[in-house]
Amino acid sequence: MSEVQAETLTVADFARTFRRIQAEIHKMIIGHEQAVEELLSALFAGGHVLIEGVPGTGKTTLVKTLGLALNLSFNRIQFTVDLMPADITGTRVILSGEDGRREFTFQPGPAFCHILLGDEINRATPKTQSALLEAMAELQVTVSGTTYRLKPPYFVMATLNPIEMEGTYPLPEAQLDRFLFKVRLNYPDEGELTRIISSTTGPDEAGIEPVFHAAEAPERVEALKKLVRQVIAAPAMEIYAARLVRATQPQNSRFVTDEAKAVHDEMVNRYVMFGSSPRGAQALILGAKVRALLDGRANIAREDIDQVAVSALAHRIMLNYAALSDGIDATHIVERVIKSVRAAKV
Amino acid sequence: MSFLSQDQRVDEKLGQILGQVGSVRLRLNSLAIQHAVLYTLAIVIACGASIFAGAYLVSPLIFLAGGAALIVVGCAGVVSAVRAGWQMRASAMRAAAIADDRAELKGRLSTVVALAPGDNHSPLWSYLIEDTLGRRDEFAAAKIERRRISRAVYPLAGALVLAAAAFPISKIKHAPQVALNEDQEDLTVDLDDLHLRPADPGDDSGMQVTADPATMRRLQDKLARENPAGDEAAGNSLNQLVNRARDMAGNLQSKLTGQQANSNRRLNLRLADAGDNRDQNEIRRAPDAQKNRHREIAGQFKQDLEKSNEIDLPPEDDSRQPNSQPSTGGTGEAGVESDAGQENPAKDQSATDRSIQQSGENSSNGGEAHGIGADPDSLFGAPAPSKLGNEGFEISIEARPVDHGAKGAGRAYVPPKVRTPLSVDQEPDEPVARAAVPADDRSTIKRVFER
Repeated sequence: MSEVQAETLTVADFARTFRRIQAEIHKMIIGHEQAVEELLSALFAGGHVLIEGVPGTGKTTLVKTLGLALNLSFNRIQFTVDLMPADITGTRVILSGEDGRREFTFQPGPAFCHILLGDEINRATPKTQSALLEAMAELQVTVSGTTYRLKPPYFVMATLNPIEMEGTYPLPEAQLDRFLFKVRLNYPDEGELTRIISSTTGPDEAGIEPVFHAAEAPERVEALKKLVRQVIAAPAMEIYAARLVRATQPQNSRFVTDEAKAVHDEMVNRYVMFGSSPRGAQALILGAKVRALLDGRANIAREDIDQVAVSALAHRIMLNYAALSDGIDATHIVERVIKSVRAAKV
Repeated sequence: MSFLSQDQRVDEKLGQILGQVGSVRLRLNSLAIQHAVLYTLAIVIACGASIFAGAYLVSPLIFLAGGAALIVVGCAGVVSAVRAGWQMRASAMRAAAIADDRAELKGRLSTVVALAPGDNHSPLWSYLIEDTLGRRDEFAAAKIERRRISRAVYPLAGALVLAAAAFPISKIKHAPQVALNEDQEDLTVDLDDLHLRPADPGDDSGMQVTADPATMRRLQDKLARENPAGDEAAGNSLNQLVNRARDMAGNLQSKLTGQQANSNRRLNLRLADAGDNRDQNEIRRAPDAQKNRHREIAGQFKQDLEKSNEIDLPPEDDSRQPNSQPSTGGTGEAGVESDAGQENPAKDQSATDRSIQQSGENSSNGGEAHGIGADPDSLFGAPAPSKLGNEGFEISIEARPVDHGAKGAGRAYVPPKVRTPLSVDQEPDEPVARAAVPADDRSTIKRVFER
């Protein structure tokens, strides 16, 4: 059914649907236009999103609103230190049947949904955090030797609280790499804050109207995701994405090969410990495809790649102590890399 | 009525897009070729005009250095222009990328051109073709590149203006020299006005120098004084190189300016010696062994003349030395005699010889050849070897021949001849008649000489 819908869907349909979802979300979320767009881009690109923001900036509300707008099943897990993997994936419990027999039955955890919010994921132990890895990458959960498939679409949004770092467990690089984008929620400006106050403290709550019917929502979302994959990427664009990713890798890294063809930036060599993985290039192209569809095109351009570069690459770059001492952010590195690769014109 | 399939329609539209990209490519390549050709022409014309103008305006060495620099710069410019033109050439892919940038098509054309040869197209391929073809007006060749003529035409125009300005310079600089060189081949200059420098072996400046032997000796002495290290300098490879470079540049300038025939005319340079006392005294004081030897020989010869009381001086080569009279030391008589000698050389020669014999060596300011009237070098044995060996020397003259003025026709200034009458106490010199020694005195004389 989804294949039929993908063929009949047009570029204009995608853009129209995207804008409708965006509009529904903004009924509840004031501001954060770019964050919402990146969130939806990651959803339709088939990835997961790591949301970083200070408390009270609407992270949970954003994810919850997205679920409502898409009319998809939604679960929320508050990550704490004592949270166990089984609390996420589910576990086998002894249940009594109608005939009185007792047997182990798998009880699905909160991971079994379409949209999963992992709130403050860095407060759980690495063991629990890694419980999400299989679900995010393989769309399946293995419990006691039995693998359970997750129903598509499956979209994980994890939030990170950049303050109160005591008692937290920074996400391992492998798990960070599995998030397509990292979205940053900044403080709202004065106008946005005023609108937040008036809309959330009044008697009326904003009602979210689902864009899809509940029965067809998963298929519609899958059809849109399939359309994104059909967007054409010229070889030159793939080369450009590859060069961007290679340019984030420091020249003196022992993992870098064929360095003669890479664009090297002094800032990268000085501040970066490890550059982006190949998943970064995939994220660039997929994100660019969504941007191209939103622009009414069936092909991606460099501008599309540049627009998603920070979201796709920043969290994949490991900085060294020199960067920390100099106050250099990964965002600066990515922006510098874009300029270097553009200037190189290889 | 024929119905085309979806794929055929897409291919047809793809053909239209590629055709339009082809026209863009054609225009870009045309501009690239124009760039290379026009810039090359501009550089060649500008350098040629500059060299042509330099041939008239600057001295040979500056012309040589400037011309070489211009040629080097021009060659580099031509290479650069051709290289730039080569880099400007556009493949279909590059033409599509340029059209994408200029028409803000966001990679549509590049994607179409890049993926056109393939068969396995995305389901959105037809959408891309339709979308791109719908913007065909935006990437028309005239919109992507408005110019049909490269901007390199402006440098070419500038070079042509430069070339046009160079020709009037040649006209202005050419006319006076033609007038000056037309009618004068003989030139007489004073030795004191000469600035001497060593010349290269085998150097032929088109000038023949003639003078009497005394003047030639003075010339030699002057050369030795003004250029003490003349022999070394003549052998100096750097000087030779500079002189050759100057000559080469001069020849090149002559060829460029068309003045080669005039400059090759031989100029007969006749040296005159004003012979002031200062120079004579300097010559006497000059520590030149060869000169002293000539003096001794001349003195001995004069004593022999007194003893023999004979006048038998060898004739001089008047054909090569029209002003062959010796200097009389500041009186300017040599010049007068020279004028007379030109009219009747044989007569003047004998008269001069007599005059020398009569007034002769009693005069104290006569110079080393005074009273002799001939070159001791040619009178007493073989000529002494030249100080300059086989290399010779070159005379650089600042003066230019002119066809106007009171002293034209190649005559140096000659002061009027003045004869001072003898006082009452003076008697003219007369030769003493030869007489036989008396027999009584012969033993006495013989004893004195034996002692």
